[in-house]
Amino acid sequence: MPILSYLVLPEAGAKEQLCTDLSTMEGCEIIPSDNEEVVVLVTDTPDEKTEETLQKSLKNLPSLQSLSMTFGHSAE
Amino acid sequence: MTKADKKLGKIATGFAAICLTGTFMVLSANAAPGIPQGFDSDGEKIFKRFDNTPLAAMTGTDGTRTLNEYYVLRQYPGSPPRVPHDVPTSFSGDTLKCLACHERGGYDPNQDAYAPVTPHPEYESCAQCHVPQRTEKLFVETEWQSINPPKLGLSEMGGSPPPIPHSLQIREDCIACHTGNAAVAEIRVEHGARGNCRQCHVPMIATEIRKEFSRDK
Amino acid sequence: MNTTRRSFIKIAAASSALAAAGSIFPGISFAEWKKQEGASGKINWHKAPCRFCGTGCGVLVGMSGDRAVAVKGDPNCSVNKGLCCVKGFHSVQALYGKDRIKKAQIRRNGKMVEVPISEALDVIAAKMKETIKKHGKDSVAMYGSGQWTIPDGYVASKLFKGCLGTNNVEANARLCMASAVTGFMTSFGIDEPMGCYEDIEEADVMITWGNNMAEMHPVLFSRMLASRKRKNNVTIIDFATRTTRTSQAADKSILFKPNTDLAVANAICYEIIRNDWVNWDFVNKHTSFHKGKTNIGYGTEDHFKFKDKPEDISFEEYKTFLEDYTPEKVERISGVSARDIKYMASLYGDPAKKVTSFWCMGMNQHVRGTWINNLVYNIHLLTGKISTPGNSPFSLTGQPSACGTVREVGTLTHKLPHGVVMKEKDRKMAAEIWDVPLSNIDPKPTYHTVEMFRALDRGDIRFMWIQVTNPMITMPKLKRYRDGCLKEGRFIVVSDVYPTPTTDVADVILPASMWVEQEGLYGNSERRTQHFDRIVPGPGDTMSDTWQIIEVARRLGFEKQFPWGEDEYIGKIWEEYRRFHDNPKHNMAPYKVLKERSGVQWPFVNGKETRWRFNSKYDPACKKGTDFDFYGKKDGKAWIWARPYEPAAESPDQEYNFWLNTGRVIEHWHTGSMTRRIPVLHNAMPESYVEMNPDDAADMGVANGEKVKIISRRGEITMKASINGRGVPPRGMVFVPFFDESYKINEVTLDAFCPISKQPDYKKCAVRLEKA
Repeated sequence: MPILSYLVLPEAGAKEQLCTDLSTMEGCEIIPSDNEEVVVLVTDTPDEKTEETLQKSLKNLPSLQSLSMTFGHSAE
Repeated sequence: MTKADKKLGKIATGFAAICLTGTFMVLSANAAPGIPQGFDSDGEKIFKRFDNTPLAAMTGTDGTRTLNEYYVLRQYPGSPPRVPHDVPTSFSGDTLKCLACHERGGYDPNQDAYAPVTPHPEYESCAQCHVPQRTEKLFVETEWQSINPPKLGLSEMGGSPPPIPHSLQIREDCIACHTGNAAVAEIRVEHGARGNCRQCHVPMIATEIRKEFSRDK
Repeated sequence: MNTTRRSFIKIAAASSALAAAGSIFPGISFAEWKKQEGASGKINWHKAPCRFCGTGCGVLVGMSGDRAVAVKGDPNCSVNKGLCCVKGFHSVQALYGKDRIKKAQIRRNGKMVEVPISEALDVIAAKMKETIKKHGKDSVAMYGSGQWTIPDGYVASKLFKGCLGTNNVEANARLCMASAVTGFMTSFGIDEPMGCYEDIEEADVMITWGNNMAEMHPVLFSRMLASRKRKNNVTIIDFATRTTRTSQAADKSILFKPNTDLAVANAICYEIIRNDWVNWDFVNKHTSFHKGKTNIGYGTEDHFKFKDKPEDISFEEYKTFLEDYTPEKVERISGVSARDIKYMASLYGDPAKKVTSFWCMGMNQHVRGTWINNLVYNIHLLTGKISTPGNSPFSLTGQPSACGTVREVGTLTHKLPHGVVMKEKDRKMAAEIWDVPLSNIDPKPTYHTVEMFRALDRGDIRFMWIQVTNPMITMPKLKRYRDGCLKEGRFIVVSDVYPTPTTDVADVILPASMWVEQEGLYGNSERRTQHFDRIVPGPGDTMSDTWQIIEVARRLGFEKQFPWGEDEYIGKIWEEYRRFHDNPKHNMAPYKVLKERSGVQWPFVNGKETRWRFNSKYDPACKKGTDFDFYGKKDGKAWIWARPYEPAAESPDQEYNFWLNTGRVIEHWHTGSMTRRIPVLHNAMPESYVEMNPDDAADMGVANGEKVKIISRRGEITMKASINGRGVPPRGMVFVPFFDESYKINEVTLDAFCPISKQPDYKKCAVRLEKA
């Protein structure tokens, strides 16, 4: 049951789109910064397989420029 | 930032605020010309003050005045406060001199404090009610007792906006006393930028008994 | 892993990300996170739309155990962005009034006795059957509300129109939004605003037409003030019949004489044409000109009938029509100086300024409500200031689901969830979705609200079921309709949450679930559908209005049409209802999306909300290759109407020499049956009053707080005078808030209505005053 957190940087000007995209994805919670082009993302998935799929779809988001992990937890 | 730096910064913004005073006095014409004056507890003043106060002046939190310091100057909740600072004996009662600091507020290096903003700058004879303290001695001892000041935090529920616990008479300009550097820390709000204060805060005069609602069929 | 530990880890995960962000971007701020930090760990927060007005603020209801204990503004809701007004912040307290109705009651030998709710439902079903058998299907009626949830209204319509076959379904929104609807239908052929609240931040000029937004739509008003402060070049004009908080905050207050807004609107159009401020490209491509009947009456007599006859006219004919409305002529009618009229025209006419007009009851509760709606649209159409960000004629609503339930579900006598009963195509669609024979749905509308209560008085209607509203305060010319309810052989069922003057006339009272004690959906003023879960368990035998109707429908033998289980019915009803709007002009969001989000705007097409309708940049229903497409009308155009000034039904004369105007105050909502049970609100505004002009009061020798008797041809009422209080009426007018059941101002008002919308005018009748 992995829980991870990331700093997410949007493509130029796409922060709002990024927030919309992320908030509609299952297992994603976001905390957007109100003065920088940065979004904190916390993901919470039931198992490793779902986690992998989620990570794949995250990497394919056109509004997302980069993703850096800041926290990882996986309890079995 | 070191302590010295902080103080310098304070003086700079404070000075700027005092300098601005003159300009803003000209701007404070009636918001909507030609409408009746003085209704709805003179609510127009809130809107005027809101429009004419720079956002920075509404959001400052540097002042350190406490509620205790506030009540020490008053004989009972709602009484006009004494003037706590030196007033030259030559002072002729020229309102503009009071208003230079107290209409808009700002930092005064002599006092090392932010000047409180008056909610009623239209009353021009300040010394009619506000007098300095020239001696601490009493003529004879007094048995005067004040009532308790209104309680803070009269919110009905956690997080709900507290009602207004004091009379609005000549204290109708919420923004003057409840926002900015000069506001008493305990009653300072940080959301003055929302403008229409009484959208959320309604009067509930603490000294009045609550009326029960009952149906008469 | 248990949930608290899991959420703890999630907080730790978020904190470490925030710390990392702080070291990379010094000074970075996460406002939303701070808000979560401030919340006590013991409170669970659940999203809901506010219970009260039509603004549709998102609130978060704080739960401790099974009790609601706090409210926050929902930061994820774009309507209010975390702010509420004083009513919203205290809304959950309305759930806990001591005299909450928790048990069903039945009148036996003149006395109300408590019974199990199933027994009350049996009695209702039996009485309906008996009444239909004796007096025909059109002798039973349902009177609902713009506070009905969408499923409430939907099942009411399905039972009465689809199953029982009577069009006797009306809602109190007839008293509040009907003119807005007919205004939209006549000008655009499709209901509800083209714009959205984002117009507030985009507009350079905002004009309130008889709309005291500082008190009635306070959250939107604070958005206006904040925008003016931030942008520094925003102008707010208050155009009204009385001076209010909104006038105080506005840059300019302009007063007009009651009903003459019609003349002023025409004069503005006259000026726009005279100065050639017309946006010809827009007008030529997207508008057509029309006129209708004039001298159309006021509907004060029983069986009043009216049908408009639209005729095409040319622009030249329209221009000639406007010659009666030069600013100078209109100054004499309206009391508004020609200079002020020209000033307003210049704001609308300035091509560099984006202008939004707001209105609500001032224009809707108006004997020419449809016309004045048309005329304000004319101004925006002539200048092409419509359907673009910041350019919006914006009709606001007063109830949380006047749009969602009454206008979209169509709980009015002539309406169906899609279209009208008169059209076979629309009846076919309804019969198919509802699974009833087509012949069930009657092609003839029956009674609009005022006429429905007249029919009850006459005896044409014998059974009426009233849900979520309080007509024994809100009906104009109240005495006639109260006496009607009390007549022998009338059977009144009332579903409500507190005792009111309406439950006083009931034969059966059903204990209703209130707001978040049930799952439901509302629809606000900007086409936003808002879902809420059942958050609080209701007390006693309380039951949702939807479920009450389902229970009765099953007792009447319609199990097939009402098959759902108690744990799933709202979702199932929503998905069934949504089939009616399955097209790009009106598509609604699916249940799952609504459950997740703090409101979703329709048309919801391909996963996207539509912010501005009729503009092809934003609205996928527009024809390809057009800039604007007013697809509601067959000719694809918006209609500009020549509508004249006509006076009110009753104007002051020698004997009755004052105008009476009625309305609301910020503290109380509708008839106060909820807000008066909230301590803060009652303490701030414990009773109603009559607002007088200080000079009129001085002439009469009335001091503030002294009693004044208000007398009309219908009735009289004595109450305290308020001088220089919340608002100031001009000389010759008094104003009374209607919330207070101890001072029923509608005993005095007149039941005149707009002949097109059938919405009564609560803002104008003639009274005289006596010092009491």
